[in-house]
Amino acid sequence: MIGFNVLGFLISWATFLGIYSILSISLNLEVGFTGIVNFGKVAFYAIGAYIAATVSTYTILMLYNIRAAPYTTEGIIALGKYEYLNPFLDAGLFLLAIVLGFAISGIVGYLLTYPVLRVGPEFVGMTLLAFGELLRIFFQNYQPAGGSKGLMSIPHPLGWLRTPLIKDGLYTLIVLGFLVLIYLYSQKLVNSPFGRLLKAVRDDEVAALCLGKHVPRVKATILFISSGFAGIAGVLMAFYLSAINPNMFMAVVTFNIWGMVILGGMANNLGAIVGAAILTFIDRALTFVTPNLGITIITPDYIRWMSIGLLITLVLLFWPRGMVPEKPVETPPLKLIKKRGDRNEHNA
Amino acid sequence: MIGGADIINTIYIGLVYTVMAIPLTLSYKATGIINFPHINFITYGAYTAILLHDILGVNNVFIAALAAFLVGGVISVINNLSVFQPMLRRKTNLWIIMIASMGLWIFYKYLLYSVLDVLSKIYRINFISRLIRFSTLPTFQVGGLELSSAFSTTLIMSAILLFGLYLFLERTTAGKAIGAISDNPVLAEISGIPKDKVINIMWFVVGGMTAVGGLMWVIFSIATPEIGDWLILVIFAIAVIGGLHSLTLTALGAFIIAAAENIGLLYLNQAFGVPTSYKPFISFLTLLIVIIVWPPKGAGGGLPYRFLTKRKSFRGENK
Repeated sequence: MIGFNVLGFLISWATFLGIYSILSISLNLEVGFTGIVNFGKVAFYAIGAYIAATVSTYTILMLYNIRAAPYTTEGIIALGKYEYLNPFLDAGLFLLAIVLGFAISGIVGYLLTYPVLRVGPEFVGMTLLAFGELLRIFFQNYQPAGGSKGLMSIPHPLGWLRTPLIKDGLYTLIVLGFLVLIYLYSQKLVNSPFGRLLKAVRDDEVAALCLGKHVPRVKATILFISSGFAGIAGVLMAFYLSAINPNMFMAVVTFNIWGMVILGGMANNLGAIVGAAILTFIDRALTFVTPNLGITIITPDYIRWMSIGLLITLVLLFWPRGMVPEKPVETPPLKLIKKRGDRNEHNA
Repeated sequence: MIGGADIINTIYIGLVYTVMAIPLTLSYKATGIINFPHINFITYGAYTAILLHDILGVNNVFIAALAAFLVGGVISVINNLSVFQPMLRRKTNLWIIMIASMGLWIFYKYLLYSVLDVLSKIYRINFISRLIRFSTLPTFQVGGLELSSAFSTTLIMSAILLFGLYLFLERTTAGKAIGAISDNPVLAEISGIPKDKVINIMWFVVGGMTAVGGLMWVIFSIATPEIGDWLILVIFAIAVIGGLHSLTLTALGAFIIAAAENIGLLYLNQAFGVPTSYKPFISFLTLLIVIIVWPPKGAGGGLPYRFLTKRKSFRGENK
């Protein structure tokens, strides 16, 4: 039990918290605010991660004129030799991957609106679940993306800093920076008139349609934005782990994110972060504790997934509003009323 | 070339899919819940047979089937009593119930993993991936051709199950009540049908039948706790072909998908060199095509967008 590294634990927790919060905020935009039952979140996350991996490794191999694919042994050795020679190249690749990850995931999400619009809420989930699973099988069999072994030695954007602690600490700050940006944007979005339209679509699609709102366009927009965010999360994760494989993108990942959203409370961005914080803390703590346990009767991973499944069901049964319940949209009149209320209390 | 073996295989897989998919349609029709623990019924049915065979030494496949039926049915009724019924009483949204059922799926899946982990350590058998052979399987001959024992067993079992289901739904009071509830729940309740009781019976039959489907799968194939997850896409695709409404169409869908997987993929492989590892894509493609061309009717369908042949009317409205 001596090998417990508190600072390392905190840094890895903060990074996971950042990445999973981005995912849960984006899922919350779809599920909590718009009522699109997305069981295929992991697909967009995977698209982001694979874009980061392929773009960065292939570009470096191409620039240094190496005729080896990044999944071969020669490719991995060459990548290890050349990847940290030019810090600006690494930073540039990181930014390029973020932009491409956002755009391509977003466009895929937008294209999936077509089947989503044609079926009821229950089937949307199933279609997207199928899409996610299929994408995983595709990556498993597609050799240029590494096949079942995946891609390794993805250049870390701060890899030229040789001290692991500083490198990971700074990267955590970058991730948290993205989280803050996305949180502020989502907060702005859901408190705007468009945010109220989202809730209208969630509560009664037909009524929103009858009021002359263009429901298909609303759904397409929100799918584009949130899928793009999931893509960004995937890019961040790929650069953090510096290796990806298709087994990272099993359907359970989606349900982990669902657990976060449900535990934190639907239709509340803060709740999404709270839920992500709790579940990633458990996840990281288990990862750090498990090697010290030795051989256990039951693999701890099974217990963890079991409790997540039970948690989703129990929270929905007994505590459907979650930890941070939904709040009314902050419109200008509401702010005015709140202000008056405060003043009245002051006077009394 | 496509030979007799492929056709027999298609019938075989088609029967297994039918037994697994018809209960999904039945439960969706009666309650409107997409039941994700359906996946677990398959794995639990399969593992009931395996554990009976390996630990208690049961070699009769029909006794194993009976046990699987009971296990699946009991789990299904427990789910209904503890989760679905309270949520339906509170008038929770159906898609939220679906998410709760998804939580149940994860829970049961990893519960099975944990139990198998413990049992593997006690009995020193790798239960996580296990292939068993029942030594006493019935066989019979058709026109001088001897059918394989697994195929004959599947044939007998699915015949008993499907005919039994038909008799149950058409000839018994409970079965007719299920039909009434599927058609119009409010009217059924007004007419004095004890809805909760009937729905419980329905869940028992659904869980049991699917579990026997899982058992039929392990007679000829390897079992892991993931088999339900492998099959779920296929089964949902089949249920969507049936529009989640018609049991006959569901059975037809099962054979269509089985043929596409066995004969269609073989053809594609020979003609275009498509690798056989892309097998799951076939059910997904079918699902997408059916959803786009011929979306499921009833509650499964989306908004009236699909009734609009021209989307232009929307754009014009918004200007």
